[in-house]
Amino acid sequence: MPKLDRFRSTLIGVASLATFVIIWQVVTMVANSPFLPTPVQVFEAFIKISTIGDIDGYTLWWHIGFSLYRVLLGFAVAIVTAVPLGILMGVKPVVKSVASPVTEIVRFIPPIAWIPLSIILFSGINRYIFLLWIGIFFPILLDTIAGVKRTSETQVNMAKTFGADNKAIIKKIIFPSALPEIMNGLRVGLGVGWMCIVAAEMMGGEPVGLGRLILKYANLLQIDVVVLGMVVIGLVGLAMNYLILSVERRLFKWRVEIKA
Amino acid sequence: MPPLIIAKGLSKSFFAGKETISVIDNLDLSIDEGRFACIVGPSGCGKTTLLKILCGLEKPTAGSMLIHGQPPDPKKQRFGVIFQEDSLLPWLNLLNNVKLGLELCHIDNAEEIAIKYIDLVGLEGFEKYFPHQISGGMKKRVAIARALAVDPEIILMDEPFADLDAQTRSMMQKELLSIWSKLNKTIAFITHNVDEAVFIGQSVYVLTKRPTKVKATVSIDIDHPRSRLSPPFISYREKILGMLQEEITSL
Repeated sequence: MPKLDRFRSTLIGVASLATFVIIWQVVTMVANSPFLPTPVQVFEAFIKISTIGDIDGYTLWWHIGFSLYRVLLGFAVAIVTAVPLGILMGVKPVVKSVASPVTEIVRFIPPIAWIPLSIILFSGINRYIFLLWIGIFFPILLDTIAGVKRTSETQVNMAKTFGADNKAIIKKIIFPSALPEIMNGLRVGLGVGWMCIVAAEMMGGEPVGLGRLILKYANLLQIDVVVLGMVVIGLVGLAMNYLILSVERRLFKWRVEIKA
Repeated sequence: MPPLIIAKGLSKSFFAGKETISVIDNLDLSIDEGRFACIVGPSGCGKTTLLKILCGLEKPTAGSMLIHGQPPDPKKQRFGVIFQEDSLLPWLNLLNNVKLGLELCHIDNAEEIAIKYIDLVGLEGFEKYFPHQISGGMKKRVAIARALAVDPEIILMDEPFADLDAQTRSMMQKELLSIWSKLNKTIAFITHNVDEAVFIGQSVYVLTKRPTKVKATVSIDIDHPRSRLSPPFISYREKILGMLQEEITSL
């Protein structure tokens, strides 16, 4: 993109956000309700929570850190389970016909429906990991299968004519060829996991985490902190997405240039 | 010495739903070691299937295909296969693409050998380029380097230059001949282009329409380099074109 265009689109982005905040400010001022905080009140809540901390003494940074920790643990478990299973399902039709009747049903059950069961089945950090894993697993699985399917038959045949066994074909051809799709699955999965964090933290007893922060202050009817928690979830999600996108761009330069 | 490649009563059929499609029927063929053999046939006659059997990607339904007396098996024999389509890995640079074949064959000193063969096909200095940054002709050279680098017993080429423009194709044919004369390898070169076959091949195997077998084997007794304008060249070409014409009109 030329420099001027990029500058213009940044300018439009900033103006759009500013307009949104102004409309929010006007609407909440007109409504004048204690349950509809203005952006200024939310910003004040941000100052308070990030410096002094919440009613239990945890600052905003602790909440972000704990939520991130939980999501990343669920993310890690989802990667090590979904990627190998996805590759196997993509490569071996037998595995697919055995696994897909189950995965095709389970993937439509939202993580929130799993809360009662996960309270019964797990305790401590495992509850979070399980619930987030449920959310993150399927986007990664589906994209991995799609990526494996996209592998060029000629490339596989080429490897076979060099005497490659199945292990080498997966390692040298299928996995790198599917990697762009897998990375896309990781990005979507991490986003879904991050969106599940409130649901996951609804059941935990611990007082820390962004979801907990929202719930605690919802009970206290202090909506400014609730909205603060929501805004922070949105911003952190944006940052993570951007991070993975920039890794993708760097890793798959060859692919971007082919498309262009 | 017995021929390097011997096919006897080779047949191959595929099952498509209820139908059985016979692609190769009772084909006999033999290619001596060190020969440059061209296989021509009407399009869709089963040339690619024959090549897949030659390198062990497909098994014959009946009959036998033997290389050095063994059924082709890439795990036991070395093949250098050059496909019609682009078979380079877009995420690897040229050096790593050539190294890949060596690594899959478990050959040591992959880097050193890869560089040597990249030089042989005239791509020195391009080692760090990626496939999308080079032309179609250069990609073919990389594929040739990758195939040659593993020191194969036979080189199999499936219409390797079909996608190239006429000028590049003519240049690649000459370069392939010069590489072949340096390395003395057996080459089985599949093409539908009679002019190409007569220009480069020592023997031309003319295939019938599907289900295919060898219609005739023509030995091209002209020394390389050949002139496309010489009377013997033209008469060989006309002869083979005539044979193919019979096959196409009898469809």
